[in-house]
Amino acid sequence: MRQGLPDWLKTALPQTAAAPATIARTAREQVETLGLPGLRDEEWRWTNIRAIQRGNFSAPAGVGADIEPAIRLPLDNPLRLRFIDGVFQGVPNDAPEGLTLTALADADEATRQAAFSPKPAPSVENPNDALVTLNTAMAREGVVIDVAANATIERPIVIEWLDGATESVMSHPRVLVRLGQSAKATVVEHIETVGDQPAWRNSVIVSTIAANAALTHIALGLDGASRLATERSFASLERDARYHSYNVQLGGQMIRREYDIHVGGSGAHTDLIGLMMPRGKQVLDTHTRITHAAADTTSNEHYRTIADDAGRGIFKGRILIEEDAQRIEAYQSSNNLILSDNAEIDAKPELEIYADDVSCSHGATIGRLDQEALFYLRTRGVPLAEARGLLIAGFAQEVIDEIPLVELRDWLSIRLEERLGEQDLAGHETE
Amino acid sequence: MALLEIKNLHAEIDGKEILKGINLSINAGEVHAIMGPNGSGKSTLCHVLGGRDGYEVTQGTITFDGHDLLEMETEERAVAGMLLGFQHPVEIPGVKNIYLLKEALNAKREAQGLDEIDTFTFMKQVRELVASMDMDDAFLHRGVNAGFSGGEKKRNEILQMLLLEPKLALLDETDSGLDIDALKVVSEGINRMRGEERGIILVTHYQRLLNYVEPDFVHVLYKGKIIKSGDKTLAHRLEAEGYQEILEEAS
Ligand SMILES: Nc1ncnc2c1ncn2[C@@H]1O[C@H](COP(=O)(O)OP(=O)(O)OP(=O)(O)O)[C@@H](O)[C@H]1O
Ligand SMILES: [Mg+2]
Repeated sequence: MRQGLPDWLKTALPQTAAAPATIARTAREQVETLGLPGLRDEEWRWTNIRAIQRGNFSAPAGVGADIEPAIRLPLDNPLRLRFIDGVFQGVPNDAPEGLTLTALADADEATRQAAFSPKPAPSVENPNDALVTLNTAMAREGVVIDVAANATIERPIVIEWLDGATESVMSHPRVLVRLGQSAKATVVEHIETVGDQPAWRNSVIVSTIAANAALTHIALGLDGASRLATERSFASLERDARYHSYNVQLGGQMIRREYDIHVGGSGAHTDLIGLMMPRGKQVLDTHTRITHAAADTTSNEHYRTIADDAGRGIFKGRILIEEDAQRIEAYQSSNNLILSDNAEIDAKPELEIYADDVSCSHGATIGRLDQEALFYLRTRGVPLAEARGLLIAGFAQEVIDEIPLVELRDWLSIRLEERLGEQDLAGHETE
Repeated sequence: MALLEIKNLHAEIDGKEILKGINLSINAGEVHAIMGPNGSGKSTLCHVLGGRDGYEVTQGTITFDGHDLLEMETEERAVAGMLLGFQHPVEIPGVKNIYLLKEALNAKREAQGLDEIDTFTFMKQVRELVASMDMDDAFLHRGVNAGFSGGEKKRNEILQMLLLEPKLALLDETDSGLDIDALKVVSEGINRMRGEERGIILVTHYQRLLNYVEPDFVHVLYKGKIIKSGDKTLAHRLEAEGYQEILEEAS
C-alpha cells in the first residue's frame, strides 16, 4: 500500500486554492489517501521519488522579482510568462490581438473549472494521478492562455519556470491553454534552475485544441543538477486539430514528465518528439499516453535517450486505440544510446488496441555507439573522442531537426556541442 | 624504400587466424590489384591496415611511409596518408557528409601543420569534385551514406579519396554494385589519383575494373596468404579460367 501524505505536505495544504471550491475540496480529501506515488507503484518502479518524499519542501514565502534566467533562448519577440519558484510574475501588457493572458487567480469560475478538468479525468486508482490531484489541491498560481478562433499568434509564448531561487521550495502551478477553432500558437516551456537550492515543481498544463486549431508545445529542460520536477501535460484535440509536442530534457536530478493526449476528433493528429540526455546521477523520465478516441486520427511518436555516467533514462509510451476508432495510424519509435557501463535506460512501448482497422507500429532499440561508424570516421582522420562526439550529436540531431523553430534548432545544436565538449568522450570502446 | 611493406603478417579475429603470413611490398607510383575467392581475407587485410579494433596482429610487421604502422591509431594512419575505401561504406545518419569531408580534410591539414581550410575554397573544391563524380550537391547535406544506394556510396568513397589525396588508397571492392556509367566515373576518379607519389591497392573480383584502371601487379589471396603474384595478364587468366587452375598450380 501507498503511504499517506508526508506531514510536511499535509501541513502545507492551503485553505484556499485556485480550483473551484467543490473540485478543490474533493482533491484535498483524495490526496490524504493517495499520498505520493512510491516505488511499489508499477508506474514508478524505475523512478525513485524518494528525493521528493524526504524533501520537506514548503511553499515559497515570497521571492524577489528581479531574477532573470541565465539562458537566453533565441526566440523572436517572445511573450514571457515568468514563474519564479512557481510564483507567477504577472501577464505582459503587449499581448497581440487574438491572445488573452490572464493570471489564474483572476480567471472566472468557468475558466478555472476548465483548468482543473483535464481529459481524461484523474482517477483515484491511478498512482500517476496522485500528483495531479495534489496539484489541484495545492495550486494557487498559474496562468490562462486563450487564443481566439482563427487567430494565429506568431510570437512564441514562453512559460519560464525558474526553479530553485529559494531554499527547499515546492510549487504546484497550473496552466490552461485554450485554442479556439482554427487558431495557431506556439508555447515554449523554458525550464531553468536559477539557484543551487533544491526545489520541486509539480506543474500541470491543460490544453484544449478546438477544431482545425494547431498547438506547438516545446518543453526545454535546460540544466539543473538540483531540480526535481513532476510535470504533467494534458492535451485534448477536436476534429482536425493538431498537437505538436517537442520535449528536450538536458538535465535535472529527477524529472518526470507525463503527457496525456486525447485525440478525440476525426482528422486530428499529434506528434510527440523527445530527447533526454541524463548524465551524472540524473534521472530523466518521460511517460506518454495517447488515446485515439475517434476514427481517422493519427499519431507519430519519436523519442531518443542518451545516457552517460550513471545517468538513467526512462521512456514509456502507451497508445490506446478505442473500439470505435477505426482507420488509425499510430507510429512510435524509441531509440536509445548508452555511453557508459553505469548508465541505464528503460524503454517500454505499450499498445492497447480495441479497434480492428488500425495501422500501428512501434520499435525500441537500446545500444552502444556503432563501432563500425566510429571506425569509419577514424579512417577519415577524425580522432576517437571527436568521432564519438559526432556520432552522439548526430544521434541527438535527428530529434532536434524535427523542432519547427529554426533559430531554436540551431541554438540547441550548438548547446549540444558545448555540452558534449564537457563530457569525457575519449572513453574506452570495446567490441 | 617501399611505400607499404608488409612482412609475414598474421592476424586473427576472436582467436581465429584469418591472415596467415602475408608479404606484400608496394612502391609509390604503383597500382596493385588483389583478387581472391570470397572469404579469403581481403577485407580483413584492409581492416588490419586500417587498424580496426578486434583484429589482432599476432606476427609480422607493417611499415607505411617509414612509420611502424602497427604502432599507430586508426586516425593517425589516416592523417599520415592512408585512405581505406570500404567494401560496405557505413551509414551515419545525423552526421552530414559535408561536415565529415571538412573534418577529415582539416584533420589531415592539421597533421601537416597547415591552417584550417577557409570555407570558400573548401566549398569550391568540393563542388568541383562532386560534379566530377557525377553526383548532386544535395548529397553533401545528407547524412554520411544515409539512404545512399550502393553505387552512390561507392562514388562517395571516391569523392573522399579525391579530396583527401592519400599517399596510399586501399579500395575494397569499390567496383562492386556499380552500373556501367558509375564504373566509368569511379575508374576515372581512381585514374586521376594515379601518380608518381601515390600507391593504390584495388581489391576486386572483376576484370572489368582493371580494363579501366590497369594494374601494375596482380596478387591472388587465398586462405589468408598471397599464393600467386603477376602482372595484369594474371587477372585475364583468372577471368578466363577461374581460380581452380591457379590454386592447383600454386599448391
Ligand atoms: N568478426 C569475425 N569473426 C569471425 N570470423 C570473421 C569475422 N570477420 C571475418 N571473419 C572471417 O574471416 C574470413 C575472411 O573474411 P573477409 O571479409 O576478409 O573475406 P574477403 O576476402 O573480403 O571476402 P569477400 O570477397 O566476400 O569480400 C571469412 O571466413 C570470414 O567469415
Ligand atoms: Mg571483402
